[in-house]
Amino acid sequence: MPDSVSENQNPQTENDNTVEEEEVNLRVHDIIIKGNKKTKDSLLETEVESLKTATTMQELLEAAALVKSRLQNLDIFDSVNITIDSGPLELPATCNVTIEVVENKNPVGGNIGMYSKPEARSYSLEGTAKLKNVFGYGDIWDSTWAYGWEQASDISVGVYLPRFKRLSNPIMARISLLSQDWLKISSYKERMLGLSVGLLSTRHHDLAYNLTWRNLTDPSQMSSRSVRKQLGHSLLSSLKYKFTIDRRDSPQRPTRGYAFVSSTQVGGFSPDSRSLRFLRQEFDLRFAFPLGFYNAALNFGVSVGAILPWGRGFMNLPSPISERFFLGGNSSPVCTLGGLTTLLGFKSRGVGPTEQRRAMIDISGNSAKCTGRDVLGGDLACSAFADLSFNLPLKVLRDAGVHGHIFASTGNLTKLTENEFQNFSFRKFGESFRSSIGAGIIIPFNFFRMEINYCYIRKQFEHDRGKTGIQFSFSSPL
Amino acid sequence: MEKENNEEGFVLVARKPCFGLPTACPSSLPVYIYLRFANVPFDLRFNLLHPDSDQIPYVESGAYVAYNNEKCGVIESLKEDGIVDLDSGVPSQTIPEWLSTKAMITSWLGEAVLYELWVGSDGSAADKIYFSDLPWPIGTILHFKQTLGAKQVLGITKLNAERREDEIYRRATMAYEALSTMLGEQKFFVENKSTSLDAVFLGHTLFTLHALPDTSVLRSKLLKHSNLVRYSENLKMEFLEVGSSSSSVSQPPFEPSSSSTPRRTPSSWRSNPKPKPKKEKTEEEKTFRRRAKYFLATQLVAVVIFLSILGGSDEVDVEDDNDLDYDA
Repeated sequence: MPDSVSENQNPQTENDNTVEEEEVNLRVHDIIIKGNKKTKDSLLETEVESLKTATTMQELLEAAALVKSRLQNLDIFDSVNITIDSGPLELPATCNVTIEVVENKNPVGGNIGMYSKPEARSYSLEGTAKLKNVFGYGDIWDSTWAYGWEQASDISVGVYLPRFKRLSNPIMARISLLSQDWLKISSYKERMLGLSVGLLSTRHHDLAYNLTWRNLTDPSQMSSRSVRKQLGHSLLSSLKYKFTIDRRDSPQRPTRGYAFVSSTQVGGFSPDSRSLRFLRQEFDLRFAFPLGFYNAALNFGVSVGAILPWGRGFMNLPSPISERFFLGGNSSPVCTLGGLTTLLGFKSRGVGPTEQRRAMIDISGNSAKCTGRDVLGGDLACSAFADLSFNLPLKVLRDAGVHGHIFASTGNLTKLTENEFQNFSFRKFGESFRSSIGAGIIIPFNFFRMEINYCYIRKQFEHDRGKTGIQFSFSSPL
Repeated sequence: MEKENNEEGFVLVARKPCFGLPTACPSSLPVYIYLRFANVPFDLRFNLLHPDSDQIPYVESGAYVAYNNEKCGVIESLKEDGIVDLDSGVPSQTIPEWLSTKAMITSWLGEAVLYELWVGSDGSAADKIYFSDLPWPIGTILHFKQTLGAKQVLGITKLNAERREDEIYRRATMAYEALSTMLGEQKFFVENKSTSLDAVFLGHTLFTLHALPDTSVLRSKLLKHSNLVRYSENLKMEFLEVGSSSSSVSQPPFEPSSSSTPRRTPSSWRSNPKPKPKKEKTEEEKTFRRRAKYFLATQLVAVVIFLSILGGSDEVDVEDDNDLDYDA
């Protein structure tokens, strides 16, 4: 995006360094905004207000750079130019600031890609279409759809407002219709119609409200007893708060730094006591250490999560199956910050408590055919990983960003609700951790990131679905 | 870590109890009665979240499940799977009449109940049975959806609504007359032995007499046949009210008589429908409305505080002179 901040220096100033070293007192006399045909004046006025408070040239340059950055981040301009000229001759020590914006010629944008998500079972094709600045408030409307090869995923429409009247906090709202097919793994299909509103979104804090109508059905009529008890309609009215610190040097291939994410979700924010009531907490901690050769780095991570229902008789209630923790899947634990899901080498939802599905009785009524098991998820989950990444010897691979890694991961799930916590012990929980090790290559592309890993399952239990062998995963490059 | 279902006893999963009935759903009640007739020990559990599911009621035992939408219903599934069969003793020469009577009850009388529950009433009975445990917006939408579904099943449109209503009640009248004649003063329909026919019809009569309002046309038609009413009450006293040794309830038990819908006794029944009473708000509705007001007030205060605090931090003085010029 071509843009610039330029200044017409006072012809009497002979040395550029003088501007940098000495404070030049001035004030902004006039701010001229050009080029906005559709964008509302109120939006631009608010964004450039900080220029008027500058009292020196240095402050003005810093403020101009900040204003330029904020206008660029609105994502509704093709270019932003800020020019500083001297003010009227009769007003010494003043300057005029001219801000020239070029609005997007084509307000429509979008992208399409293929990814594997930890929460879905297989790869999914995703596309996003965006419509920018429809009403001139810097509003960005987007429509997203995602389709998995074995199940339809979701359709959603969202809007992002950088400012709303005097509120400097951006506002986001999204309506989504999501359909997840877990029939083969857990014997239920999930359909959700939801509204989510972003109440606060800063660098470290995210607060969102979610209102969702969820319907679980079992068209196969093969579900186990625990899943049958969960089938039906429910209303989720929840607040989710996320605190994030990410001091790693790269989210895709961190070589130094640390990251911490705490996610708290409280369901039941409704005067109606019949909505889903639960408390869900997750912690995610990461460290990256450089090793000083071949751009190698050691990444460690540990994640813990728990969910419990609340309300009258909560000790006897099960947690909602859709909110429980499930471990498994091929997504990279290094890149997936926040979200207890990945355990390399195991299939999606491939670990944890299971229950026998419905038995079919044959015509004679004498024998029952076993039809598999449902994965139920857990109320307490813990996972950890260690990953050593390094450059490959070939220069062409290094230049393309292709690198290798060796990893080890472990994780476990258990149930705590419906009085199962009475049978819980840390020793038994520790002894039942599953684990895997492996090595692989990571190939970043423009639109997606591919990992090819060989995983060896070191420890798994009966009914787990871990498989030693080569696995692929695709993820978003962002 | 693995959860195995070690419960080998039978569990009947039905809709919630109301109106003094162990389960108020017209589909679930016959299954309950069938199991009581068969003297099969079972637990009664309630599904409060899936009012639009045709799988309910269902009977489960361990990994075995008999759904309502398979093999012509739970009763037929239990018979076919060799679990319990009350109909094995039906004399072969009476089977045609017995079968056609059962078909008449499930079709003509079943349609009449469907009509009264979803179309021909204010919907309060359906609300109580199916949607009272769901959050209000979901319950309201599902009720509307179920009503549309019922109209579709009954073939009711705006043009033929009156004709279909008349047809449904005519058939119900004929069915009651035929059943009253067939039953006489017997205890059961077939040779003093309970069969699935009795379970189905007793479920229908109990629902009609206890769950439908006093203004119900179907109820008034049933009350005209005193032997059918006696049949219903006698069997209810014998099998549903005398102890609960063969069934136990693991979830909300029958509603106590102090509930908002008092149980009806035979002496309080009238064959002429009374004018519909004015609907009073229940304690639950009052509490819900009060909580809703508090919630909305709290949200409003939070939004006002949020706006004033964050709006104040971004406030700047707007100068009157023309500092900002715009060029097109």
